[in-house]
Formats: sequence, structure tokens, C-alpha cells
Amino acid sequence: MLVKEAPVIWNLLKGIVCVYKPAEITCENLRKALLAKICADLNNMECRSISERVVIEGNPLEKLTVNVVPNLADHPAVVGPRYLPDELPASWSNYLGWNTCGILLFGLREGTRTAKYLRENRPMRAYKLKGTLGKATDNGLASGKVVEKSTWKHVTKSHMEKLLSSIQSSHQKQMFQLCGVDLQSQTAYDLAVQGPIRPANSKVPLLYGIKCIEFTPPNFVIEVHCINENESYLTTFIHEIGTKLHSTAHCTALQCVRHSCFTLEDALLKKHFTLQNVLTNMEKCSIKLEENKDLLYQKSASLTSINTE
Amino acid sequence: MSFKAYRRLFGTVRRKYPINRDQEKSLPIFQYGVSNESYQRLYAWGNIQTGALGIPFIRQNESVDKVSCLRHPKRVTFGEKHNVTAVACGYGFTVFGVENDEHKLFGSGLNTDSQIGHHEINEGKPLSILFYPKPIHLSLKNSTSKILKLSAGRAHCMALTDEGVYLQGNNSYGQCGRKILENEDYLASSYVNHIPNVDGKKICDVQCGQDHSLLLTEDGAVYSCGWGADGQTGQGHYNNLEVFTQVGGDIANEKIIELSCRADFVLARNDKGEVFGWGNTEYSQLGPDIEEQQVCNPTYIKSLKSFGKITSIASGGSFCLILNENGDVFSWGFGILGMGPSVEHSKVPLPIPKTLFGKNDFQPSSEVVKVACGTSHSAAITNSGDLYTWGRNSNACLGLGHDKDQYFPFKVSMGASVTQVFCGVDHTVVLSKPFI
Repeated sequence: MLVKEAPVIWNLLKGIVCVYKPAEITCENLRKALLAKICADLNNMECRSISERVVIEGNPLEKLTVNVVPNLADHPAVVGPRYLPDELPASWSNYLGWNTCGILLFGLREGTRTAKYLRENRPMRAYKLKGTLGKATDNGLASGKVVEKSTWKHVTKSHMEKLLSSIQSSHQKQMFQLCGVDLQSQTAYDLAVQGPIRPANSKVPLLYGIKCIEFTPPNFVIEVHCINENESYLTTFIHEIGTKLHSTAHCTALQCVRHSCFTLEDALLKKHFTLQNVLTNMEKCSIKLEENKDLLYQKSASLTSINTE
Repeated sequence: MSFKAYRRLFGTVRRKYPINRDQEKSLPIFQYGVSNESYQRLYAWGNIQTGALGIPFIRQNESVDKVSCLRHPKRVTFGEKHNVTAVACGYGFTVFGVENDEHKLFGSGLNTDSQIGHHEINEGKPLSILFYPKPIHLSLKNSTSKILKLSAGRAHCMALTDEGVYLQGNNSYGQCGRKILENEDYLASSYVNHIPNVDGKKICDVQCGQDHSLLLTEDGAVYSCGWGADGQTGQGHYNNLEVFTQVGGDIANEKIIELSCRADFVLARNDKGEVFGWGNTEYSQLGPDIEEQQVCNPTYIKSLKSFGKITSIASGGSFCLILNENGDVFSWGFGILGMGPSVEHSKVPLPIPKTLFGKNDFQPSSEVVKVACGTSHSAAITNSGDLYTWGRNSNACLGLGHDKDQYFPFKVSMGASVTQVFCGVDHTVVLSKPFI
């Protein structure tokens, strides 16, 4: 890094960082790890020097000497490191559950506001869900207790696709009911003509695109584009697919492969958490957000196409 | 130890009763059934009080007079017991054609004119309403004969079989193809008119209007009889007809392959994908250049020329729907045309945007494959087996879960992929296939 002074870098740490969250770690722990690494790197740089204090010494009856000495009370060995994780504000713009891996966006310092806008604008996320037919577990995941076993040899890819396309169009129908517009009005028609629209409510999960991208029975991979989803909803969705296919299924992996304009290529791995990488990533993210201003300031309820390049 | 601390240390959720992985091996393996290739599912919704749905009650303790309509698609149990191959929805009644050795035709709903057969429990008191499909006796010679096509009008119904057409019900305008009798008591009669062929030609399609009937023969000729006050028989006059007579006009030399009529305007499509129409044209169903209110000669619809080959047609009470080879749906006439509440009347065919039929970035290949009309509501089936409905929602015949009018195509939620849809006045019946 060319810059040696930590305060200069500290002033640059404002914005969104796109990181890759591994499975079996909470967002909270990942946030802690990121902040700890940033702060450690900052502390290793040339931090603010120790403040000075004025010392007036000597006998008051005679001539006093005025000296400026280092203020030892401000020494890192006394007050601790200059940069502490607790003093670096950071918040995530999308929450991923414990079993989910994939893209996670953190807003640092002033970027927390951007993260809030991103979250409240409900951008679309894409997930890859891996499932296995034949077993149903009590929590819908491979880690759970197997509660039922069934045959799966009768399931073909065409069955799967027929079912998924039906679920998909039913969800797209639901988005009109959730858009907060009277269906009998001209506004509803104008919105419907434009295509998919965002829900007005942040509570009801909506699946827009559902596609089976790999089918090697008993395993299958499904790609879903969704808004307002959460981990348990997605695992239940896989379970439901299993029952609708006259079999049973559980989820073996969940991966968030896209978050609005951010793809897996933008995501920073946990092993690459360094101050330099975080800053580079932050810069890339700000360029992307600049290109897609609709993400932060929506003009219409309809979904707009997003450039991920 | 706290929950979080435990998970940080051991990486899994602590369970009160830890999972015994060996127990899994002793679990039985369930085998769930897969439906037969030929299996069809029958769904119905709309007005339940006429009995046309074939569903006598919703719950065991709920009678029909308390519930006026079904707002959501409901499986018809009759469809589970019989292999239903053909359905037709009339004005408050439904006829089902089944593959069965004993009875091939069943009917349910209003029976004011014996349109679904003569059913007598007490002598001299025939039933004028049926709440559950009952067999209709046809005098078929072969037990292997099949019902090929059904059609139903206001108070009459036609059944096309391998042995010709069977017509029953009201004949006050000659719509059953027999002599009009003064003061005939249709409810008391059990007469079924059998027409084996017309002019020695085999009949391949039937279509009922409100009070008239149309036949299509193998060579593409159209025959009509019945009420002609609006020119719907297409004979060049406005009189009632008692005998099936060939229709002339512009279709005299055309090979017609599809007919569509729900009320008093008829649409016909020939093998080249051109569309002809005749009958009541007070809502400009024949296009902007024809001013007459009634047209009794089949007329080529010029305004459809630019849309290419037409693949599906549907004529409702006051509007028309067509589908061209590119999958575009056009509608014109008067009523809810599917283009929002502001479009109520159009003399020229207007396209319904494809996005309304579910075509978007997520399902780019979604295309409409078939359109159908009731008297005041419309339906379209897409290639993925989704059903979209719009129009006047009398007695919740759209199946959207409410009874408000729907001004643009909206998907009907159903757990099966739709193959055929039949629209009546205030009810809809669907034949569909299960997903697996």
C-alpha cells in the first residue's frame, strides 16, 4: 500500500463491501472477523502519534521551566490500539442464514446508510439450491433427523420442470396481489403490462424465476430468483417440491449467487480479508452502485433490468 | 453453555434428543403412486346453484342454497370415477363424455328442456335440475362407439359420436334439426334426434350457438339450423331453420376446420388460417368497415389479414378472440377485452400484451396455445399448461378467488397443467393433467 498513514485510510473506509459468506458461520461472526481484520491492519500502519502535554516544572519561587513531553496516558500500551472493531460501524444489507453461503453486502461507516437503502428497496437475489430426493428431514436440511424415506426413481426432469413452471407462474400472479394496487384499476393494468413487479410488503417471500439447472437423480440443483426470502422458506420450498413430486426431498446446500448487481466474482473470500482488498472491493462496489442508481432510488414498482458486468 | 457458544464450539445445533443416525436405516421406504398416462383431472368453478359443476355440495353439512358459487377451482369427483374425454358447458348445465361401455354421456345442471336427458324419479314429474352428473341414454348401436365432441347451447346439447350426431333439448327454433312442434313439452319429452350424416358426408365437428346449431363435415362444409333472427344461421335470410342446410356466402368454397360460437355471432376458420364471421354484428365483430347490425351471409374478416395465419378462434357474446401463429392474442368487440378498464369497445382487433400471459425475462418461452370464450368471460391456455382468465366475473366464473371483474388476463391457481377449457355463462370446466 502506498499510503502509510492509517487516518488517511480510515477516511476512505466509507461504502459497501461485498464478501462471500461461507456456510456454517453467522453473519454476525463474519462481520466480527472482517472488522477485526480491518482494525488490525489499520493498527499496523502509521497511526496517530502520541499526543503531547505541557509540563511546567521547577520551584515556583524560582524560575519555572515549561516543557512539552509525550502524553503517556495516550500511549497505545495504556489506552489500547488506536482502531477498535467496536468503533467501526458496519451493517449487512441482506441477511443470510447459518446454512447459507454466498454474497453478503456490508456497509461500513457512512455506507451503512447505503446498506439500509439497499435493504429497503428489496433487490432481487438469486440462489442455487441443491436438493436430494428420497429423504425428508425434520429441519429440511441434511443435518436434520431423517423422518421419512421414499422412492424417487419415478421422478423425471420433465416432471420437475412442469411443476416448477407452474409454481413460478403462480408466484408471478401473487406479485400483483401483493403490489398494493387495486387489481380492478387502470394502474394495475399499466403495472402488469410492464412485467414483474416488486412487492409492497417486506414480509411475504416471492419467487420470480425458478429453474432446474441440473437433474442427476436423486440430486438436483434449482436456481431461484426471489425477494423477501429467508433460509427456512427456501428449505421448505425444496421439501414442498419433494412432496409435490410424490416423493420426499431435503436441501443439501444453499448458495446466494447474485444480489442485485453483485455476482460471485465480486465477492471477497474470508481468507482474502485484508485492508487493501477491502478498499479495492469497496471501490468496485461503489462503481457498480453508481451504474445502477435504480437500486437505491426506485422510480417504479416494476423490476428493472440490472447490468452485472 | 449458551446456544451461541455451543454452536461456535461444535458447529451444530444442540438437540435435546441427539440424532441417532442408525435409526434412519430402519425406516420404511414409502412408495407414492404415479398417475396413469391417460388420467385426466376435472376441475370446475363458478355458479354452483344450477348444479352445472357436478358438485352437489361443498361440505357434507352445507347445502347448495347456502353457497352460491365456487370462487376457486375445485376437483370434480365425477372426473375421478369416470375417464372424461369431452366436456361442454351450456347455459347453466354441463355435459360430460366418458369412456365407458354402458353410458357414454352424462349431464348435470339445469334440465328445463330435457337438454341433459329425461330423468324421472316420480312418475310424471321429470327432474328439471340435477346436482350430480347422471347418465344420458343414447341409442348407440356399437358399444365401442366413442363420444368425439360435445357442444351445448342455451337449452340444447349436441353430442358427436362415431355414429353421427345426437341432439336433445329445446327445439322451439329448430335448433335440434327436427320439425318445430307447436306447444311441445320439452321437459316431458325424452326424444333424442339422431343425425347419422348430412348429405352423405361424415360429420367431424359440432358447435352450438345460443339457439342454433352448426355442423362441420369432413370436406370443410358448414351446415346450420335453428334460430336465424340475427342471421346466425348464415343462410342469407333471417328465418328459423328446421333442417341442417349448407351455409354459403364467402365460405362456400373454403375448407373450414374450426367453428366457434357462444351466443349469436359465429366465427369460422379455414385451413389457410383465414377467419369468417356471420350473425349479430352490432358490436362491430366483423370489423370497422361493416356497418350492418346483422349479417346473414358468412363474410371474410378483412381486418385480420395483417395478423398472419390464425390458429385459434373464440367468439363470445359481444366480443371475439383470436390467436395467430406467433402466439399473439387479439380481441375486439364490446365488453372486457383484456386491455384494462379503459378499453371497453374496439372495432379493430387489439393485441393483448404478451407480458399479461406470463411472458417475461424469467419465462421467455411462455406462449398462448389456445383461446376460449364464455358469453362474457375469456380464457387462454399457455404452452406450460397455465390458464389465464379475464372478463365479467358473474358468480366467480373466472376462478380467481373473488367475484370482481378482471380487466386483464390473470392466472388461475391450479395444481395441474391445463389441457382444455370450457366456458359457460357463469361457470367454467377444465380438463387437466396432473404434474406427475
